[in-house]
Amino acid sequence: MPATWLLTGQRFSQPVSVLIAVVPIITFAIFIVKFINDFSVLDEVKQRVQLEAVVIGFALTAMLLMLLFLLGLCDISNPDLFGYGQLAGYCWGFYFIGWLISKKKYGV
Amino acid sequence: MKNTIKVERAKKNWTQADLATHIGISRQGLNSIETGKFIPSTVLALRMAKVFNTTVEVLFQLDDLEE
Repeated sequence: MPATWLLTGQRFSQPVSVLIAVVPIITFAIFIVKFINDFSVLDEVKQRVQLEAVVIGFALTAMLLMLLFLLGLCDISNPDLFGYGQLAGYCWGFYFIGWLISKKKYGV
Repeated sequence: MKNTIKVERAKKNWTQADLATHIGISRQGLNSIETGKFIPSTVLALRMAKVFNTTVEVLFQLDDLEE
């Protein structure tokens, strides 16, 4: 979020802009490593919930990308609603949908 | 998959939380297993059988449809 605000609202030279763009990716990579490490210490029911959440999230994201690609071929696109940034948000949204479905399924 | 976890727990007078602590999972996880929503791994089933001093076959049985 701060990186988005900085990159859209401020004017920086390109090297500084690239640096601002890369920093969140590094922190996100650290988050992913931590997420995977935490996953290994969960009990097997919670592991299953997380696994299904990721599977559902991935499947829905792939479906959305496929739909957008096909609509793009028909010259239908809306970058304001379906830009790269928004797609990252949808991806997280789909993961949480999957997480809720899986939690409900196993009653955890 | 049917199970007799609740019966075995009652014999030992254990709550779900007690058993969950003994086998190293969360109480919600154990509840999910006990209600048949989640099928445990072989390791967890064996661990459960061990704390009840019984066998996996006593704890878990196939449904008629699964046989």
